[in-house]
Formats: sequence, C-alpha cells, structure tokens
Amino acid sequence: MILAMTVGVLAAGGTYLLLQREMVRMVFGVGLLSHAANFLLLASGVPAWRDEPLVNRMDMAQAADPLPQAFVLTAIVITLAVTIFMLALAVLGHNDDTRRPPETGETHEK
Amino acid sequence: MTFSSLLPLFAAIPLLAAGLSVVVRRAWLDRALLLLVPVGTLIGAVALLIHHQSNAVVAHSVGSFSGVVAIPFVSDTFTAIMLAVTGFATLCASVFLLKTGEDRFRFATALILLLSGGVNGALLTGDLFNLFVFVEVMLLPSYALIAITGTWRRLGIGRSFVIVNLVTSTVLLIGVGLVYGAAGTVNLAALAGAASEDPMIGLAVTVVLVALAIKGGMVPVHGWLPSTYPMTSAGIMALFSALHTKVALYAIFRIYSITFEGAAPWMPVLLVLVLATMLVGSFSTMASKTLRGALAFQMVAGVGHILVAVVVMTEASLAAGMFYMVHHIITMGGLILASGALEHTYGNAKLGGLSGMLGREKLLAVLFALGLGSLVGLPPTSGLWGKAGLVVSAAAAEDAAGVSGAWIAGLTIGGIIVASIISLIALQRVWSTLFFGHVQETYRPDDTRTGRGDPKPLTADVKCSARLLAPATVLIAASLALFFFAGLVLPLFETAAHGLMDPSSYIKAVLG
Repeated sequence: MILAMTVGVLAAGGTYLLLQREMVRMVFGVGLLSHAANFLLLASGVPAWRDEPLVNRMDMAQAADPLPQAFVLTAIVITLAVTIFMLALAVLGHNDDTRRPPETGETHEK
Repeated sequence: MTFSSLLPLFAAIPLLAAGLSVVVRRAWLDRALLLLVPVGTLIGAVALLIHHQSNAVVAHSVGSFSGVVAIPFVSDTFTAIMLAVTGFATLCASVFLLKTGEDRFRFATALILLLSGGVNGALLTGDLFNLFVFVEVMLLPSYALIAITGTWRRLGIGRSFVIVNLVTSTVLLIGVGLVYGAAGTVNLAALAGAASEDPMIGLAVTVVLVALAIKGGMVPVHGWLPSTYPMTSAGIMALFSALHTKVALYAIFRIYSITFEGAAPWMPVLLVLVLATMLVGSFSTMASKTLRGALAFQMVAGVGHILVAVVVMTEASLAAGMFYMVHHIITMGGLILASGALEHTYGNAKLGGLSGMLGREKLLAVLFALGLGSLVGLPPTSGLWGKAGLVVSAAAAEDAAGVSGAWIAGLTIGGIIVASIISLIALQRVWSTLFFGHVQETYRPDDTRTGRGDPKPLTADVKCSARLLAPATVLIAASLALFFFAGLVLPLFETAAHGLMDPSSYIKAVLG
C-alpha cells in the first residue's frame, strides 16, 4: 500500500513538473516520473520485504525476486545518464525558455 | 559454437566499433568503421535470410541461461528482413554523411555506430525489458546527434526530442513492470497468447504498445516528430526516419501479434487512430513550408498505412504491412537524402525558396518524381504494391470475418484511398514549386559563420554533384527494383507474416 501510494504521489508530482515551462523543472519532473517507474518495477516483484536473493544462503521461498531488482538497476543508470544530458541542455540553452522561444543564432531576413 | 550464438554480434560489433572510434581518433578509421559496420550488418542479415530458408527461427540465450530468465536473441525472417533494410538505409545515409562532411562533427561516427548497435539489438531481442534497454541504447546517441548537427535551432528542438522520448521510455518501462507483475515474465515467447487470456496482462501489454505508438509517431501523439526531425541535418534525419519509428513499428507488429494472437478487444480504438494517422499525416503535408517538413508529415501518414496491417490482422495483411514498411524506409531515405543534396548545394530547401530547378537538376527532378510518386502509391515504384497489398488483404479479410469485417475493410480501404489522394495533391505541389516556376538567378548558400549567407549569382557550375546524389539514387533505384522484382521478394514477406501469425516455432526455438 505504501509502495502504491509512493508511486502515485511521485507520478502526480512528476506530471505537474513536466507541465511547467522551465527546463530545470522538467528535468526534475522526469526524475520523479522515473522514480515512480522504478518503484512500480520493484512492486511487481517484491510485494513485501523479503530476504536477499542469494543462492545457497537464503531459503528460496523467502528470497526476493532478483529480476525486478536487476531491471531497476538498469533503469536507474539510464535515467541518471539522461538526466545529466538534459541538465547540460538546460545550461546550454540559458534560462530564456520562460519568456520567448530559444535564440536560433540565425538571421533570416537581411 | 553454433550459428545462433553469433546473433549477439549484430549488437556487439557496432558497439565495440563505437568504442574503438572514441579511443583511436583517426579520420580514416572513422570513415572505414562508418562504412564497414553497416556493410557487415547487411551481409550478416542476408546470410540470416538464406539460413531462414531452411530454419524458420534461430534463437540464442546469452550466457546459456535457460527458459524465461534468459536474455534471448531471436531471429526469424521478419527480423532478418528488417536488419537487412535498416543496414542498407544506414549505409546509404553514412555515405551521404561522409560526402557532406558531417561525420567530422565531434564523435558523430561513434554516435551513429551506437545508434545502429541499439537498432540491431532492439530488432533481435526476444524480451520486453531488453527491448527497453536497446531502445534506450538507440535513443541516447540520437539525443547527442541532434545536439551536434543541423542548424542552431537544434538545441531547443533537442530539448523537446529528449523530453518526449524520455517520458515515453518511462511509460514503456512502467508497461514492462506491469507485464512482469501480471504475468511473472517479460519473455515474449513465454507471453504468447497471454494477453488474450488474462485481461490484466492484456492491459499491461497495452501500456507497452501505447509507449511504442508514441515512439512510432501515431496520431494523436505524433506532434513531436514533424517538429523535431526536420531541424536536424538531412543525413541524420534519414537515419532517424529509417531507424527510430520503424523499430517501434516492428516491435508493435511483434508484440501485438504474439501476445494477443489475433485482434485485441480494443481494436476499434486502434482502427480510428490508424485512420486518423493516415489522414492527419497526409493532410498536414499541404501546410508545410519546407521540403523536409512535408516529408516528416508523410512519415506520419506512412505510420498509419503500416499499422493498417495490424488492424486487419491476417497473414496477407501482415505481409503487405511489412512490404509497406520496407518500401517506406527505402523511399523516405531516398527522398530525405535527395533534399539533403539540394540543401547542401543551394543552402536552402524551403518551398518557394527554390524554384525553376528543372533545367538545372534533371536527375533530382526524376528522383523526386519517382520518390514522391512512391509515397502516393503510383507505379512504377514499390509504393504501389504496398498499398495494393493492404487494400487487397483488407478486402479479403472482409469475406472471412462477416459484418464487423465489412466495417473494418470499408473504413481502412476508404482511408487509404482518401489519404493517397490528399498526399497526391500535397506532393505534386511540392514537386512543382521546386522544379517549375521562374528560373532563379541568385541563391543564398549556407555560411558557416552566420547561418544564411548573402545572395550570390547562380552560375552554371553550381550543381548537386553526382557523388552527393549517389546515395539517394541508390535508394530510389531500390524502390524501383522492389516494384519490378516484387514477385521475387514477396515469398519472403509471406514467410515472415506466417511466422508472426503462427508463433509455435518461435516459442519452441526460444524456450527449447
């Protein structure tokens, strides 16, 4: 239940931030949304707290499902990479996307 | 060491080549890798196609894990066809990029190789989570490619491309999580028929399909495609149009056919969206102010045509849809590279900015006439057989399915015809504004410093060079060849469609 509510709150916050115009807020929005996705992945394999999935050490009936954990690990790495790239884009474009379209650097009519 | 264990090399070799290109910074090595890797993909795919004449499906589980926990690489005839065509299109786009010098942008070679590695992996994977990973491997270099090529507008555009694709990827990931939660596996072979049996799995698979539909550029979530693609350079846009949306469509074909085993309960919604995609795409072409803008909207229309196959969902329609997909990759690539040649030489491909080119660029006029005609579906080009196949298969499905079939057939056939007529009206305007009208005396070539340069007299020696036009010519010639030799290649598509409709050998090969 706590996991489900966390996913809901994170997804709602992420969606709200994505609807803002500033790039940095959108980056945070994407971050929240991907956290929601990660928790959802965990919820699909680990509905309650269980033991570590180590063969020969844990009772297999008590061990957590390792596959969603592997999924989440991969997803976190991907999100981290893209977040850094998006922050770089936010810096490169300056903070001019709140008032007018980004400067293109081209002169069209002269 | 068996034949099947070589499958991961399709993904591994481009990725390793990308690494090599980053570590060893030599111009000749970059050029060699950029050409050799797509050629290798093409050769490997043709070898796979020949192999599939005797063995329908080849599967390899990485690390020899067994059953549903493995990371499977699976190839059947459909995969091999797509590998061959995407490899061919990548090769032509790479040659174009070499000719325009865009491969000299920082790390461009490495990024293109990463992109093709991700595409090959996404085509070969037999596992939903692995599909997500390879789609990300394919998208991450694309973000960077948009940022380093094209005009200065690219940075603002790069933002929207990144955000749309990242949010979509998150939806895809959520879908994969839901599938795992509902079914306990994300292996496609293990999911065969699961979605039609259990509504919960059906809903989860639908989330995955929605994410793929956004990536494919389906109406009403197509807006990002025509607003971002034309802002990159032509060579990069040709790569994207051949690879990105088509991989998403390939995945839709594969996942929909294997998990639902027939039409899904929400098929009427799909029917309406597919019709809207065809009509919106072709209608919006009319309002485009640039050549590549018009082509981007035609890409949206093409997505609608390809997905008609999934709506009708018979063996004949799937074969026709695959044929249309192959035709669309080849023709669209040819057209984008041809307009890229125009842009590179004249600095501009705005509709109205160039006119009266008929006397100056005869080969280009013929290429555009054939390519645009192919998008409409006129002979003698591959578009005719694609559209005819879709219409015929929809009509044949009506006879089989009764009243509901009649509705589907009537709407899809009507949609294809109306969309083709609208496309014809829009695209003949594109052609005539470019090649008819007053003969230009000045032009404004690109200036590396300020963007658009000053007007210069247009002398007789300003012409698209034959080498610049060569990739586009090869692609349009391939479209012609698909028209004339359709009888030779159609059996391949029928085998591929049979493999999708009857996945028993696929399941047997993956799960053993």
